[in-house]
Amino acid sequence: MTTIDRPAPPPARTHKRDRRWVGQSVRRVEDPKFLRGRGGYLADLVTPGMLHAAVLRSPHPHARIVSIDTAAAAALDGVHAVITGAQAAELTDPLPDFGPDPANHVWRCLAVDTVRYVGEGVAVVVADSRYLAEDALELIQVEYESLPPIVDPQAALEPGAPLVHEPLGTNCAYERSFDFGDVERDFAEADLVVRDRLRWHRSGGQPLETVGAIADFDHGSGQLTVHTNSLSFTSYLFMAAASLRIPANRLDVRQVPAGGSFGSKLFVTKPLVLAGMCSRMVGRPVVFLEDRVDNIANCDHHGSDRVYDVELAVMRDGTLRGLAIDVIDDYGAYIQFGVGHHGNALAQVVGPYTIGSVRYRVRAALTNKNQQGAYRGFGSEVNNWMLEQMVDKAARELGMDPVEIRRRNFIRDFPYFIPTGNVYDSGDYDAVLDQTLRLGRYDHWRTEQKRLREQEGRYIGIGLITCAERSVFSATEFWFWFDEPGAPVTSMPESVTLTVDATGGITATLYSCAFWGNSPETMVAQLVAEEFDCDPHDVSVAYQGSRNGLPATGPGGSRTTVMLAGAVEGATAKIKAKARRAAAHLLEADPDDLEWADGGYQVRGVPDRRKSLGDIAIALHLFKHGFPEDIESGLEESKVFDHPYTTMPSADRKDLGVFYPFVGHACHIPVVEVDIESGAVRFLAYAAVHDCGTLVNPRSLAGHILGGVAQGIGTALYEEYVYDDDGQLLSSSYMDYLIPSAMEVPELAIGHVETPSPYTPHGIKGGGEGGRMMAPAAVNAAVNDALAPLGVRLTELPMTPERIRAALRTPR
Amino acid sequence: MAEKHTITLTVNGRRHIAEVEPRMLLVDLLRDELSLKEVHIGCEHGVCGTCTVLRDGASIRSCITFAVQADGAEIRTVESLADGPTLHPLQDEFWAKQGLQCGYCTPGMLMRACEILAHNPDPTSAQVREGIASNLCRCTGYQYIVEAVLAAAARMRTGQNATHDVEVRS
Amino acid sequence: MKPPPFSYAAPPTIAEAVGLLAEHADAEPRVLAGGQSLIPLMNFRLAEPSHLIDLRNVAELSGIRLDGDVLVIGAMTRQSQIEQAPEVAIAAPLLAEATGLVGHTPIRNSGTIGGSLAHADPAAELPAVALALDADLVAAGPGGTRTIPAAEFLRGPFSTALAADEILTEIRLPRRAGGYAFVEFARTHGNFAIVAVAALVELDGDRISRAALALTGVAPTAIRATAAEDVLTGAVPDDATIAAAADAAVSGVRPAGDLHASAQTRIELARSHVRRAVTLALHRAQDQR
Ligand SMILES: Cc1cc2nc3c(=O)[nH]c(=O)nc-3n(C[C@H](O)[C@H](O)[C@H](O)COP(=O)(O)OP(=O)(O)OC[C@H]3O[C@@H](n4cnc5c(N)ncnc54)[C@H](O)[C@@H]3O)c2cc1C
Ligand code: FES
Ligand code: FES
Repeated sequence: MTTIDRPAPPPARTHKRDRRWVGQSVRRVEDPKFLRGRGGYLADLVTPGMLHAAVLRSPHPHARIVSIDTAAAAALDGVHAVITGAQAAELTDPLPDFGPDPANHVWRCLAVDTVRYVGEGVAVVVADSRYLAEDALELIQVEYESLPPIVDPQAALEPGAPLVHEPLGTNCAYERSFDFGDVERDFAEADLVVRDRLRWHRSGGQPLETVGAIADFDHGSGQLTVHTNSLSFTSYLFMAAASLRIPANRLDVRQVPAGGSFGSKLFVTKPLVLAGMCSRMVGRPVVFLEDRVDNIANCDHHGSDRVYDVELAVMRDGTLRGLAIDVIDDYGAYIQFGVGHHGNALAQVVGPYTIGSVRYRVRAALTNKNQQGAYRGFGSEVNNWMLEQMVDKAARELGMDPVEIRRRNFIRDFPYFIPTGNVYDSGDYDAVLDQTLRLGRYDHWRTEQKRLREQEGRYIGIGLITCAERSVFSATEFWFWFDEPGAPVTSMPESVTLTVDATGGITATLYSCAFWGNSPETMVAQLVAEEFDCDPHDVSVAYQGSRNGLPATGPGGSRTTVMLAGAVEGATAKIKAKARRAAAHLLEADPDDLEWADGGYQVRGVPDRRKSLGDIAIALHLFKHGFPEDIESGLEESKVFDHPYTTMPSADRKDLGVFYPFVGHACHIPVVEVDIESGAVRFLAYAAVHDCGTLVNPRSLAGHILGGVAQGIGTALYEEYVYDDDGQLLSSSYMDYLIPSAMEVPELAIGHVETPSPYTPHGIKGGGEGGRMMAPAAVNAAVNDALAPLGVRLTELPMTPERIRAALRTPR
Repeated sequence: MAEKHTITLTVNGRRHIAEVEPRMLLVDLLRDELSLKEVHIGCEHGVCGTCTVLRDGASIRSCITFAVQADGAEIRTVESLADGPTLHPLQDEFWAKQGLQCGYCTPGMLMRACEILAHNPDPTSAQVREGIASNLCRCTGYQYIVEAVLAAAARMRTGQNATHDVEVRS
Repeated sequence: MKPPPFSYAAPPTIAEAVGLLAEHADAEPRVLAGGQSLIPLMNFRLAEPSHLIDLRNVAELSGIRLDGDVLVIGAMTRQSQIEQAPEVAIAAPLLAEATGLVGHTPIRNSGTIGGSLAHADPAAELPAVALALDADLVAAGPGGTRTIPAAEFLRGPFSTALAADEILTEIRLPRRAGGYAFVEFARTHGNFAIVAVAALVELDGDRISRAALALTGVAPTAIRATAAEDVLTGAVPDDATIAAAADAAVSGVRPAGDLHASAQTRIELARSHVRRAVTLALHRAQDQR
């Protein structure tokens, strides 16, 4: 094995024990406005007089645009502009794309001369109302010349397959194989190599609010103001500006609350560029808000779509030695994030197990489908599913119990470097497993399972999975794929400004951090309250748009809470340093003799010689002459908090460095019943225990687990963007893209284990994606367990009744 | 353009007379003409339930209802729930139980919950679950919504209606 | 997703509604009932009628009454009202059970029985109920009214025996003794069924004296499974008979597959759900005695 020279980890922190607010399930400070329906979502900002844009979508998966006649549409009363893809290409530059070789698979806001998937935009209409805009769309005549579509990712990689992008000369947008550790040796020494082919079909975030932007271009100043529900606006702003060909300092992006994202609003440029282009053309504010079909068929963010061939090297005693993964990912027609999704997988590719070596071959296929983007888990959830399937298969082949094989391989020494080079900061996997077994009444269900099978002929299955839950990404995962990356970004900060007004009231300002259903305001309010001994509901939280914004990255990869905690901690330290000096002056004491207690500074041991934060603040705001010359008026401090622990990949990429270091853990135990006649799957119970380090608001974390599990159940059983063999999208509405309702989702028993991270404030780890990172694996395991007596294993998600029936018809 | 029709409807207790194109969807009348932005749009084909309002006490999808069909009807939206600063027990329990995350489904969910409780003031958890299956929520996994509806039902049965939202804290 | 423009009228009588259909014949007029099928189609712009005749003001089209042994339901009666009506629970519990499976409450609060039948979605529940119960459908047109037996009413997917200038006014459901069951397989709660089965069985002593079975999901419309009815009629029901009936129900059907279920899966689902429906109906028939 190559010895890797690793930089030392940051010093381990000691965490304060008695916390007053961190760890409390306080009511969320965000909620009252939403409960009144006054959330102020993007659509709520539409005012009379604004113009509405609508996009004409291609009905063809692959076709040349021969001609577009917009005359009738443009002549319709109330229509202000009709812009075709060719015209848009004169007005805008390509959309930002981190994929390899972007010049050879150019991605634009509208297709120019070739459409590459059903739903791709070919023209946009701007009209007085959305009704009129859609009337006009019907009047646009497009002549297409069909080209052969390529739909299957494996077929796409065959020689002679129709090309999605001619200039690229292939449908393989990226291919590389990495070895981490001594793969050859581990496989040579293995007693058994477990093999399987696994298929994960595409689904997506599908927030109930679609994506959009309201753009207002001012020809007088050259300024474009955009309100959007896309989340990471600060970090990508300059790229969106470049697409629009305006200077970045003339683009002001303002966040509005998003009605859910789950990755799908992480970073959305198409609606922004469309709205911006239209507004500049007509000189008036324009709103483009996707409708549901746009959001399904022509969005920026379908989820992973993978074919795996996997080999797992195992010893007879159950020890897992090596893992060889060969994965094809169907990226659809464009590849905006490159293969970052696989970086995500590599962050925790060995799960919670001491697997010593990994081979990872990835091929990115281009096909005639909507492109991939982000969906809660960002590809790591697929890896979790793949690995747990393999571990279960190994257990089956070895005749081992699923609990036993996992225990045998758990990582127990932290910090632990996995073969790819990423670090797992802390964990206690046995504790999580033990608690889940209890909470999920594992032994009880095993007995019930046997009884019901024997006495009633019912097929009950108990799934058990133990998975890693990485959090707080480093941007290296987007570029360590390349030996000479175009943009080897290493900054991923998050910033907070704390302002103490003259009355002692505290306002926290957040940057590049829109609300999307998580609780940034509550988190920050609790963290501030913890620092300043106030009530979280007394903390005011403001969001700053890109204008005057401090450096920020935005949400993604379960980073918000950890990063905001760091920024709050840093800003607090600055505020307190100044407040201490000021208090010392007011109390005529030595600053070093003061201690922070109960919301103010007091002379150590003399509680009646104290100044509250309010006393200090009013003095600092109003009584300049009461202080030494160098103490500035006011009490406001900012902190730009950089990622607390990342390192660079090695030049040979045998070690990818530390890029996702705060690694939580979870165990899920669902109990299902499979109706073998119909292929329907029903839940009888579901237990989930997570360890996301120190909890800030346990109930809100549980809420994320619940919601993530519901989505994971969708992925496992219901949700799929179905493209038929001809490339037609069959599930273009909610009648066919099936989102689980309350009746498809069971009641969960949730437990928490808290193993603090040594490297983050309070020991917090991110937990926003956890439910969905686990549930697909867990549900699949449960179904397979139910069908084991029949010799059937499901290896393809979602496990629709059709797939379950088909598998039952052909037992292995 | 088709001839406009004059309709009269009562929304949250106020009478409105509106001139509408026949094709105007009720949701757009409520949002755009009456500024009731709490009636959200999620799918515009009747599946998701974010646009749910009460028509004469019965929940309907306002995205697949023409405004002209509501002529003479009494419509209620979430605006009708809170009494000034005082939240309705359903709203208050959604808050206490974290029955919302992004809040986008919440107004529709609340109106549907009103109807469920009007029909059955003392539902079981299973009945609430089946009842709210009409409305999708992509964030919460529904469990805390069920808990909130049950808790609100209990309070409403004992007449404990009022909670002042600025008084309630952690 | 906004509907295309159209002109609109909401006449107070059947006669005026029929008159308007004729008057706007060139504008592809459509009747508007609850709108729960038509408006989504219009929002997708898959339907673009230029004139809509809203029946909501036609009071005579709403209501549920018993006419001797026949349950008479006005076409504009809302599905939620049918679901809850005591008359329906007594005279046609099969209809009540099936109606509870049409979408969700907010859909049924608007959707009408007439709209569902006239729309004739091949996956819809209510056409199968009408078939199983040998319902009569009453239509009003320029020449007066006529009665169409359910078996003749359903012509194909989204196609019925109604003429362009006719309006469905009421549904007449003969009261049936014995047990009933409406059993369906849908992928998610409240969604359209992949396969649904309506079953009615009457017992004479231990023997089945009469059986009626209707299926959706295996043909372009709901169909009666007469071969299965023949297997059951006269038999003393046991597992083997029920299985034979289930086999008979699917023999010869040639369903079209779609993204939710292949033809083969539909046949399997139909077979197992016929068995479940007949079993449940038999239990209920036995319970009645
Ligand atoms: C989310 C959702 C889920 C649904 N799930 C189901 C389901 O599971 N099962 C199911 O069966 N249906 C389902 N539906 C459809 C629903 O039941 C409709 O109510 C029904 O199909 C149509 O009834 P309507 O009164 O709304 O008719 P409309 O939509 O108003 O009309 C439908 C068609 O029938 C014609 N029509 C209506 N009334 C008459 C009449 N009296 N005379 C002549 N023509 C007439 C109209 O012109 C139109 O072409 C669902 C709908 C939605 C939105
Ligand atoms: S927006 Fe009305 S049901 Fe989805
Ligand atoms: S809270 Fe986000 S959809 Fe329900």
